Amino acid sequence: MKKFMMIFIGADYGELGLSPEEIQERMQKWFTWHEKMASQDIVVSGEALKPEISTISGKDKVVTDNVAVESKELIGGFYVIKAANLDEAKVVAQDFPDYELGSSVQIQEVMEFDNF
Amino acid sequence: MQYEVIDHLFRHHYGKMVSILTRIFGLAHLETIEDAVQDTFIQAARKWRTTIPENPEAWLTTASKNRVLDIFRQIKSSKNRETLVSSSAEAMHMTELFLDTEIEDSQLRMIFTACHPQLQQVDQIAFSLKTVAGFSSKEIATALLQKEDTIKKRLTRARKTIIEKQLSFSIPTGSELQNRLDITHKVLYLIFNEGFHSNKQEILIRKELCGEAIRLTRLILKKNQIRNADTYALFSLMCFHAARIDSKTNANNEIIDLKHQDRSLWYFPLIELGNSCMFKAMDTKKISSYHYEALIVSEHLKAKSFEDTNWNTILNWYLKYTNDFPSPIIFLNQAIVYLQLNDLVSCHKILKNHTERDFNQRTYLFHGVWAEYYIKKGDIIKATSYLNKALDQVSNTSEKQYLLNKKKEILNPN
Repeated sequence: MKKFMMIFIGADYGELGLSPEEIQERMQKWFTWHEKMASQDIVVSGEALKPEISTISGKDKVVTDNVAVESKELIGGFYVIKAANLDEAKVVAQDFPDYELGSSVQIQEVMEFDNF
Repeated sequence: MQYEVIDHLFRHHYGKMVSILTRIFGLAHLETIEDAVQDTFIQAARKWRTTIPENPEAWLTTASKNRVLDIFRQIKSSKNRETLVSSSAEAMHMTELFLDTEIEDSQLRMIFTACHPQLQQVDQIAFSLKTVAGFSSKEIATALLQKEDTIKKRLTRARKTIIEKQLSFSIPTGSELQNRLDITHKVLYLIFNEGFHSNKQEILIRKELCGEAIRLTRLILKKNQIRNADTYALFSLMCFHAARIDSKTNANNEIIDLKHQDRSLWYFPLIELGNSCMFKAMDTKKISSYHYEALIVSEHLKAKSFEDTNWNTILNWYLKYTNDFPSPIIFLNQAIVYLQLNDLVSCHKILKNHTERDFNQRTYLFHGVWAEYYIKKGDIIKATSYLNKALDQVSNTSEKQYLLNKKKEILNPN
């Protein structure tokens, strides 16, 4: 089994101006997705991220708080899952609930260093 | 362990939390409060992706309460502290305000604020749906068939008026209460009708509007110091109508008239609830328009089939109704009853007494009844000409289809 990270990119719910009803609907869809993955026992880890960003960059380690990011490019969270191969991970990512809001999933395989 | 979240929990909780927080912080801070409550839901949506708490509602309440304390601290340290919760004693009462009965009290205050006579009627409706029922401006726009910008303007105007006129967040008393209750009934009635009578929106949105109107009317009904006979009548009317909502249109969203509705689709528990409230509604000296409408609908509901309808009883109610509340559209309905009773002379008398201009956007109904009159008389040429007039003026597609079908029917019998 390999591990894959699914990174969720897209606007924050607050930014999108969703109604309470729509937020509940979103939450319910995420929950269903999670339940499905959990029942297949493929979830390694996963977190939702708050939209506030701080960066530290450059050799001077310049700290910038409240970095403005194009809201479509915001990382909203991630899951690390177990899958046999990339194709299988892609199938899992089909159920990501927020495509209809214009969000996307980026899938990258987790590097394993077992041989060292 | 998996926990279910009840339908509309977020939407309904929004109205509750905004009302309580407004009671604590005052109407002047409404916008901040609405944003804060919205934040709580976004937080919940992130947090509940993997596990839904055992008691979601309690979770939201606690989160909102904590959010209040956050705002409380923030604003306390800023300059305008004097405009906020004045004494710590009041803050201590905060926990009590989160008790169920107090939540309902706060929601009623919000409903009555939304229906303040200083606000325009369109603003009252939009503001009620936003602040009390937890709809977003986009949802209100869809429900009321308006542009989202229009709704946003109405909401802004309502908030501005509330602040400028320094409206108080309270339930009025005495004659002021009666006046406010009348407006509130009207607003709830309009919200309900928007859902029940308009066929332009999806059935889902229409049901939600009806559901909200019923829920809010029920809130008033629960308070015996506030409700009156009209509240009961309005609630009965809503029950009677709501019981039939599924039989009113077919799968293609086309209107099915009373004659052709599948009466087995009617939801009888609601009809029974309406009936029992109607008993209480009749305990009054002054009969309102809601009473008459409910009494007329209930007479229709009593009939097992269209043919069993007791048109004489219905006519009697219309005679009283038009006597107490004369209005062209009610006279027009009375004219239809005369048609059912084959009293063409009385029907003609009503039609002759009215003109197109009496019916604004609903002139097609007027022409439609003229057409029915001539169909009964057997004058197909005049009937067709009136149907054409009606078709010229109808905008709603399902009603247009209804008229087209009618035309086809009389031109090609069988």
